[in-house]
Amino acid sequence: MKRAPISVRVRMLQGLSIAALLLGWESIARAGWVDPLFVPAPSAVAGAFVRVAGSAFTGLADTLAKTVIAYVLSVVLGVSGGILLGSVRPVRQAVNPFVIALYGMPKILVLPWIVLLLGFGTWPAVVYGTIHGLFPILVLVTGAVRDVDPTLLTVARAFGARRWQLHAKVVLPAIVPSVLAGMRLGIVFCLLGVLIVEMFAGVRGMGYVMSSLANGFRAPELFAATALVSAASIVIVLSLDALNDRLSHWRGEAR
Amino acid sequence: MSVTLLRVAIVVVALGAWELVGRLANPLLYVPPSAALPALGRLLSLQSYPDLGEHLLLTLREIAAAYAMAIAAGLGCGAALGLNRLVGRAYGPILTALYAVPAVVWYPSLMLFFGLDAASKIAFGFLLGFFPITLAVLAGIRQVNPHLVTVARAFGASDLTVFRVVMLPAMLFTLVGGLRTGLALSVIGVIVGEVLGSKAGMGSLINHAYGLFRTADYVALVVVTLALIVGSDAVASVLERRAQRWTE
Amino acid sequence: MTELIVVEGVDKRYATSSGPVDALRRVSLSVGAGEFCTLIGPSGCGKSTLLGMLGGLVRPDAGRVVVDGRPVDGPDPRRAATVFQDPGLFPWRTTLENIEFGLELQGVARERRRAVAADLLGPLGLREFAGKYPRELSGGMRQRVAIGRALAIDTPIVLMDEPFGALDEQTRLLMGEWLLDIWRRTRQTVVFVTHSLHEAVALSTRVIVMTARPGRIKSVLELPMPYPRAIESTELVALRAKLWSEIREESLRAMGEA
Repeated sequence: MKRAPISVRVRMLQGLSIAALLLGWESIARAGWVDPLFVPAPSAVAGAFVRVAGSAFTGLADTLAKTVIAYVLSVVLGVSGGILLGSVRPVRQAVNPFVIALYGMPKILVLPWIVLLLGFGTWPAVVYGTIHGLFPILVLVTGAVRDVDPTLLTVARAFGARRWQLHAKVVLPAIVPSVLAGMRLGIVFCLLGVLIVEMFAGVRGMGYVMSSLANGFRAPELFAATALVSAASIVIVLSLDALNDRLSHWRGEAR
Repeated sequence: MSVTLLRVAIVVVALGAWELVGRLANPLLYVPPSAALPALGRLLSLQSYPDLGEHLLLTLREIAAAYAMAIAAGLGCGAALGLNRLVGRAYGPILTALYAVPAVVWYPSLMLFFGLDAASKIAFGFLLGFFPITLAVLAGIRQVNPHLVTVARAFGASDLTVFRVVMLPAMLFTLVGGLRTGLALSVIGVIVGEVLGSKAGMGSLINHAYGLFRTADYVALVVVTLALIVGSDAVASVLERRAQRWTE
Repeated sequence: MTELIVVEGVDKRYATSSGPVDALRRVSLSVGAGEFCTLIGPSGCGKSTLLGMLGGLVRPDAGRVVVDGRPVDGPDPRRAATVFQDPGLFPWRTTLENIEFGLELQGVARERRRAVAADLLGPLGLREFAGKYPRELSGGMRQRVAIGRALAIDTPIVLMDEPFGALDEQTRLLMGEWLLDIWRRTRQTVVFVTHSLHEAVALSTRVIVMTARPGRIKSVLELPMPYPRAIESTELVALRAKLWSEIREESLRAMGEA
């Protein structure tokens, strides 16, 4: 018997695995082998989805709003900072170890302090989301500016390009792939930061909704909310990837 | 005129500005270095938190457990995905999709299931550390020169031997990088877990100090925790360099 | 023939990790308008540095370069266009957009730029590749785009630094013929750096031979023969042999040093 082409087999395996997982989970839950307080059945989760939809969507909208603000700030600061650091060699060399250190430092350590400073509202989430998303963008853009093919810069100078033209017509187009890569990383980091603040000291937003549900031992609702925010995150990232692809068609190869 | 001088200048200016802001504004909130240092002293001499040692030890044990599990699962899943084409192509995209989700969304579920004890922190640290290790194993396997595998098979090597003798050395470099990232993320996972809600561990102490507005102690605790993190990463980087020298 | 380019006693010294190195020492030469002048010499003789000085990209430590009566003080796209060995095409621009790059920098209006670039596609042999990106072009095609970019700004002088160096021999020969074709129509002043004896003899009206480092002018040969050249003719065979004997000496010296 001839084997089906691999793409078909892949789809079959994926479909079968998910089906097996859901069925197994449902059976285990119904048989009573796990405490429904901790591990709800998929059917319960689906049902809970309707009940929790109102507060979940409101929470998600709130979280996304803060994330967008933080994201815009991260991108603006990250790209401009990256261009500055990438262009001015002495500044970059001096500042680089600090940037790397701050990038690697778990920013959760300064979160309590930020909350002390800014209170419980929207602003600590936006600030914390910004510092989370800022660093990957900064590091990627700095590297890209530093690594612009020097031949291209020589060519532009030979054709009489002035300094601003070098930046506008050579550096900026050349760093677009790295900016896009940074932006793709940045959105996940910003969202992460906002959610953490909402869980730590929130009154609104998805993070707060989820931690309240956890504290209230409302497992089906929590699983539903978790699924919702995961799906939203995947959709956002996939959209950015598609955008990335469309803008990079001159590069040709796969990412 | 060296870069080092510039860096030292940056540190001096930053500390100086911090001191100034701390004194002019609310010193309770801004904790200038002059207030932070004595607090650090009090912390290290076990005056402010006498059971500092136990908490530190607990955090370290949580990290060790999370990391060990992440390595085991990461190596296993990475190998399964990398060595079997069908499995890799079926589950690889699912893994990538999950990686796009900010890990902290799983935490409330973990807290509900495991409670506030060490288990939820270990689970979260495991989740965070698992992904980079798996991805590194996958990347490492993918970049092994297939020609080398063909040559080994031509000399009669079995599958296991091929893995041991050809693939493992070739991917060691990528793998070690992934292990180092995995450690860093496991550490972050445990600490985030502790800060977001725990009864013991460094994160809980930080929470405690913050809750009581003991900002100077909070700064001291942050410094000690940072030292822990930097220390673990330093150890990892030394091991990484050892491994690199070994593969050359 | 008026001397369009005059180089007066230039020096160039570079600081390297093993001490200062003299790339050029007291180099003087001149190039007349409408000439095809080749600079040839062993590796490291400073010919690329010299070309860089003509283009205003390299500043001499002593002496000066004068073009059309005015000293050279920096790159000037109204004076000279440069083609490098690495075509240096912008990967995010199509063929047409790459060709019009120089015009864009000078602020020429869009329709006019497009028209100039489009007109060049025919002679460049790139009519079907107007909308392609560099990664879709072969090495030879990319270099033609780079040359097109230089021709588009219509300068009196065109400087070429081993433009065919990265191409295989057959492509090189064809590109040489093609370049000659274009030059014979536009009659710009070309300064052409090469390693290739064949290119020197087949293309140039004047060949300047440089010594090994530190570079000086060893000799200047005039080639008044008409085009197209019969390179098997006794005259050119003898010339080529002479050229080789001069260069060989210097190449050996350069190799011994390295």
